[in-house]
Amino acid sequence: MDRKTTIRQFVQSLLTQKGDQRPFNDGDSLVFGGRLQSIDVVDVVMFLEEQWGVDFASIGFDENLLDSVNAIDALVQQAAVSR
Amino acid sequence: MSAAAVAVRVPERTRPRSRLRVIPPIETFPRFVSFAQTPAGKVALVGAFGLGYGCFLPQPGEWLTVTLTLGLISFLPKWRGILVMAGTLGLAATQMPVRFFLPVAALGLILFWCARRWPQSMFGRRPVAFLLTGFALIIVATSRIPQSSPWFFPIWISVGMLTRYVWFIGYALMDRSASASRDAALEVGSFQPFWGSTTVPYAKGAAYLRRIEAKNAQELAITQLKGIKLLAWALLLLNFQHLWMFVFHTYLHIPSEAHALAMSVRRMPYPWYVCWQSQVLAFFETVLGISVFGHQVIAVCRMSGFNALRNTYRPLSSPTVMEFFNRFYFYFKELLVDFFFYPTFFRYFKRHRRLRIVAATFAAATFGNMFFHFTRDFSMIAKYGLAGSIINFQVFAFYCVVLGTALSISQLRRNTPRTGFVFGRLLPAAWVTLFYCMLDVFGSTERNYPLTEHLRFLAHMFGIDF
Repeated sequence: MDRKTTIRQFVQSLLTQKGDQRPFNDGDSLVFGGRLQSIDVVDVVMFLEEQWGVDFASIGFDENLLDSVNAIDALVQQAAVSR
Repeated sequence: MSAAAVAVRVPERTRPRSRLRVIPPIETFPRFVSFAQTPAGKVALVGAFGLGYGCFLPQPGEWLTVTLTLGLISFLPKWRGILVMAGTLGLAATQMPVRFFLPVAALGLILFWCARRWPQSMFGRRPVAFLLTGFALIIVATSRIPQSSPWFFPIWISVGMLTRYVWFIGYALMDRSASASRDAALEVGSFQPFWGSTTVPYAKGAAYLRRIEAKNAQELAITQLKGIKLLAWALLLLNFQHLWMFVFHTYLHIPSEAHALAMSVRRMPYPWYVCWQSQVLAFFETVLGISVFGHQVIAVCRMSGFNALRNTYRPLSSPTVMEFFNRFYFYFKELLVDFFFYPTFFRYFKRHRRLRIVAATFAAATFGNMFFHFTRDFSMIAKYGLAGSIINFQVFAFYCVVLGTALSISQLRRNTPRTGFVFGRLLPAAWVTLFYCMLDVFGSTERNYPLTEHLRFLAHMFGIDF
């Protein structure tokens, strides 16, 4: 399974847990669009830390970086390059 | 309840589409959206909004400033940042002497500039921590000034202004690394913006506003139609609130919670069931009041072309304590998360998943909540002195500790699967509402009575007297 699919599935599971069954595109705004809350962002952060060892202390935390599947994927890629 | 009982909000877009709606989803009607993009449509929208906004009885100067600014933004959306700043400055001028506003705005911009200019300095790396620590020290220093000093009033007024703006400055400092932070107009315009705020920044800071602003004519039309809808909803709730107050307090003579508590303190308590009535009514009145005010503010924000999320969104259907906190007072929760939760979460206990969440939750819901309210009500220091006002803060401190504990438990348990409507949604929502209703006994920041009196009142509600 490629990285983006893994991210998409995780986001989907988060939304499902919240009772949000609506589909979403990889570019859709999830945080600023109101589908994910700041508390859910914490789950995404821990997922990225555990799955790919993303270190937010070094790259700095910004909700913009986690707003969509595409943004999250780009963040993981950037974190991998900078390691 | 104070601003404390805050926040998770559920996305409006995920709400199941029901066929019957009190207010039709006009932003989804293509004809409405097209019409709202025409000059006649813009005039109609702003006119209708101005009429509706007038029902909230703002001051004439405030009404004129808001309506005029919205009209200009509707026709000149490319100048939105400048117009928001102009509206904010104009409104500030109607509410207070400009000499009070400008120094605070200047202080915010200087701190912002310093943080950008020297990003590797101690201040540049943690400007918000410096801001809040400095703010706390200023309050302590202010409390040492004797009332007989000629500096007493000027300094207290200045600190009062700083209290009004400190969280706005904090958001500006958080935005220091945002690429669009060159737009200083919106940065200034987001300091107590013209659409309204309390000491809590509604719709957060300029960076957030840039992220949610309408990018084209169609988005602006949709956002404005959503603003109209929200204002209509706020008006409905406002009228419902008036009816509520008349029926329960004027017609049925149910005492207010404050009065019931006062009678308990005088050892002449109302019967336990009357205390329950007062407490339940007070809780729902708080929810209604926060909803009406928040909807009104966000409606103006949306009319300005910012698709901000509602401040309150169906809190009574929250199946968990955490979700209620998120839905009840969204922007206060966001403040606690941004200023206290995230910094703790990303700095401490990284290898201990549960401890990390609990520590960050306590940092926000307990410490942050107390810090916010204690500094917001810093004028109490003039009344009781620093030590006295800390001691008098015991009731709200207790509230924050219980809230932090409940939110921590709620977060650690939140993966529990829900099944069925009754056991999965209805009963959990009822329990959550009951919990917050009882916690509200301690939600007062007025500091009139010691904690024991609030505990006595709660016990009396359960038929226990001591």
